[in-house]
Amino acid sequence: MTALAHAAGIHLVDLQKTYSKTPVIPGLTADLASGEFTVILGPSGCGKSTLLNMIAGLEKVSGGKIMIGSREVQDIPPKDRGLAMVFQNYALYPHMSVADNIGYALKVAGVPKDERTSRIQAAANVVNLGDYLDRRPSELSGGQRQRVAIARAIVREPQVLLFDEPLSNLDAKLRHDMRMELSSLHRRIGATSVFVTHDQVEAMTLADRILILNHGRIQQFDTPNNIYHKPANTFVAGFIGSPPMNLVEAQASNGAVSVGGVRLAATETSGDVTVGIRPEHIKVTESGIPVHVAYREDLGSHSTMVVEMENGQTLRLATQLGEPIRGGEWVHITIPEDKLHFFDAATGDALRSD
Amino acid sequence: MSNRFYRNKWLPLWLASPQLVVLFFFFYLPVFLAFFWSFYLERPFGGGSQFVGWQNFERVLSDPEFWTSLWRTLTYMVVASSTSIICALVLALAADRGIRMSPLARNVLIWPKAVAAASIGVIFLFIFNPFMGILAPLNEMFPGFWNPRINPVHTWIMIYIANIWSAIPFTFIILLTGLQSIPDTLHKAAAIDGAGPWRRLFDIQLPLLTPQLFIVVVLEIADSLSGSFALIDTMSQGGPGGATNLLVYKIYVDGFKAYDLSGAATQTAMLMIVVAAVTAFQYLVVEKRVKYER
Repeated sequence: MTALAHAAGIHLVDLQKTYSKTPVIPGLTADLASGEFTVILGPSGCGKSTLLNMIAGLEKVSGGKIMIGSREVQDIPPKDRGLAMVFQNYALYPHMSVADNIGYALKVAGVPKDERTSRIQAAANVVNLGDYLDRRPSELSGGQRQRVAIARAIVREPQVLLFDEPLSNLDAKLRHDMRMELSSLHRRIGATSVFVTHDQVEAMTLADRILILNHGRIQQFDTPNNIYHKPANTFVAGFIGSPPMNLVEAQASNGAVSVGGVRLAATETSGDVTVGIRPEHIKVTESGIPVHVAYREDLGSHSTMVVEMENGQTLRLATQLGEPIRGGEWVHITIPEDKLHFFDAATGDALRSD
Repeated sequence: MSNRFYRNKWLPLWLASPQLVVLFFFFYLPVFLAFFWSFYLERPFGGGSQFVGWQNFERVLSDPEFWTSLWRTLTYMVVASSTSIICALVLALAADRGIRMSPLARNVLIWPKAVAAASIGVIFLFIFNPFMGILAPLNEMFPGFWNPRINPVHTWIMIYIANIWSAIPFTFIILLTGLQSIPDTLHKAAAIDGAGPWRRLFDIQLPLLTPQLFIVVVLEIADSLSGSFALIDTMSQGGPGGATNLLVYKIYVDGFKAYDLSGAATQTAMLMIVVAAVTAFQYLVVEKRVKYER
């Protein structure tokens, strides 16, 4: 299966969605490159599923344009948009065999039986279900059902593949396996993929670029690496990372930024700023800022702590396991200056020194 | 049933007894008596009965009127149940799709359930009265256009419409519930697979509705038979010229008007065998095609 030739980029131009006068997506513009794997990430109710459904044609657009390749598609029905979709609850037809489920789109399109059979077999082989074609969905496990749903999506060799939280019904181990499979599948098929999730791990591992959405607005649309290392604002900073980034109200004056009188780092700005520091960047050291360990969790590979500075400011930090620290103890921490993020205290936008 | 669950072996029977007593007196006893009487010659005003073997059956089965009536009954069962189910299905599909006014329609459509078949018969007899009913103006323009008292086709149309009206609520509710239990994402998936509304109706909705369709077919076929009595008794009394003389009504007339108790009992036994055969056919043959997978 080589569908690379079919891949088409998606261009959203001032796309809007309003439910009975409540704007869900006030106006969204983004370019999803051809063959790219884009993950739309955001909290519940941020409009990510609405956005996906609008691209699919399952929901009407209130304003703006959707382009797939060079075609404007916002007013044409789902079937003519050249896309396929994988649903969270699989949405398999329970009364049809696996083969009929996979081949339904081909049957509707009037593809001759011989060609249909070979394409069904090919799609089933891609997801390792070649021996299950006669089964009913009710006879399959959750992971196998999800594979059928994926085979059904790729059998038409669509220009665009849409995924609506496809892994959230699977258990943790299966989710990990399917993530790897989806990733290698995408490399093989090369269709432009849009994947909606609220799970940042899925987003970080699968995406070429992550589109972070909150209240229907793009917070940041960038590579996983940039999202993690250069968050565009406090929302992205607090949303990505586990435990999330510490965001501290601080004051900058005389070339230094400090929290409640404790100097954190040198800076060129002045006035109120929000300082962000990732828990994993804070080091426990011999000397430095004295803190009181308020709470500690061992997670095997690492441990996380909540510590309290003398002025009452709390911070989360993550350390390698093996630090012999107990709850209630006083320790010293060092915050590396080059790992600090600065945000405008009023707007939350990142203050870039470069 | 595990015996260990109930320490007292009579307790299960005792708990089931209210049902069993009702079933016995109102179902098994009459059935048994019908078969019993079909082998005896009963006197119309009581007092002694005489065993006659298969003579009642010979008499009934050689009567051409019985066969016409049985044929009409079977036709009625098929036409009445299919027309009422199709009407209810169309309404349920419309209500499921959430067209305008469907919440109101959903309530209004339940109302006929509260009206007895006899009342429905009286009401429709009035509605279709050739001189006072809704078609009376047409009769004035084209004399003889509509007269269910003379024209058997008109009588049947009137009875079928009354039957559809009385049968819709139950079937509508069952079918609507069935349609609403089909997950929305299946519609979405099928829409993306390229199936339009009609294609989805035949490929997704109807196959997944077969459990509900099967149960309403079984119940409607039985109901059309028992419900027909009240409609025919109030609307046509088997007329005109015996055209609407279904077996249920013929049995009543033979038994209670003509006092041919044994003949009526024999026809009842025959009818019961026919109904049992139809039901058995449904469960043994038709149910195989029902899609229960979810």
